[in-house]
Amino acid sequence: MILLGKIGAGLLGGALVVGGLASSQGFLHVRIDEKRPDGTHLRLLLPAVALPVVLECVPRKHLRQAASDLRPWLPAIEAAASGLVDVPDGPLVEVAEPGERVSVVKSDRSLVVDVNDPGEAVHVSVPLGAVRSAASVVATRAGSN
Amino acid sequence: MKKLLAILAALPLLAASAWAAPAERYLHVKVDDAAGAQKISVNIPLSLAAKVIPAIDNGRLHDGRVRIGRFESDGVDIRQILDALQTAPDGEFVTVDQPKQHVRVAKRNGQLIVRVTDRKHEDQNVSVTLPWTVAEALASSTDKHELNLEAAIQALEKASDTTLVTVTGSRQTVRVWIDSQSAPAPSGDYQ
Repeated sequence: MILLGKIGAGLLGGALVVGGLASSQGFLHVRIDEKRPDGTHLRLLLPAVALPVVLECVPRKHLRQAASDLRPWLPAIEAAASGLVDVPDGPLVEVAEPGERVSVVKSDRSLVVDVNDPGEAVHVSVPLGAVRSAASVVATRAGSN
Repeated sequence: MKKLLAILAALPLLAASAWAAPAERYLHVKVDDAAGAQKISVNIPLSLAAKVIPAIDNGRLHDGRVRIGRFESDGVDIRQILDALQTAPDGEFVTVDQPKQHVRVAKRNGQLIVRVTDRKHEDQNVSVTLPWTVAEALASSTDKHELNLEAAIQALEKASDTTLVTVTGSRQTVRVWIDSQSAPAPSGDYQ
């Protein structure tokens, strides 16, 4: 009985450590709701630490274009991601026109993008640390052809 | 005794406010459609711009500077005007008359003031009011075909709240200003 208790405590501790590591950089949150009767409703919640691993699994041919577009901007993206950490939370970009609204907000060490148009509502929340590491992975993979 | 206690209680607050980090400064850009159909609002923390702009090496931007060579073909050499105004006395105007537009540049009350009026469409006007320190910083690049954006942003961080650019047209109005508010004030107007 004591042995079972120790194993249980070990498993619980391990789960806590894994959970702590997974959530240490926050979570990538994606929500897509298509506004038609049979539309797609997607919810994705992914630990930010897993994002570079996921990108490593994407076939290189799918990343090639994005990578070549990103490479010249990588230093700026890294500077923006690290700079945004230090600035107060607040709206960065807001675009509003009839039937459509786009906003980019810095909120609690994350960049939150919301798009709401007649066709769909999209919400993406990316931890700033993940923006940097994801851009780096994509750009590096372009160079490793 | 009560006064002494009140002063003692207020001391930590005074010390904290004295040592507090300066408030973040923001560059705001607001575009309003004349019909009220479209609104664009961009709020850039200046500390962020100061980090990002030097990191961009693409197109006309490199090392915190922007190449302005092509602006000369419009008949207005921005760099030359800035150089001329550096030694000009306060209030002296530079006037550039062109068939399409009328440009007036002045140095007044520590500010560089530029007014551009479209001759064909008289409702289209551009008004630029830069603190002189910012204008000087822009021209501080060693290359005469460049403007030093990095230095200008550093100067803007020290400038007081002000409207920098206003563009009014029949279809849209654009306003660029700096202050310490993360979101635009509903009807803030600095001069």
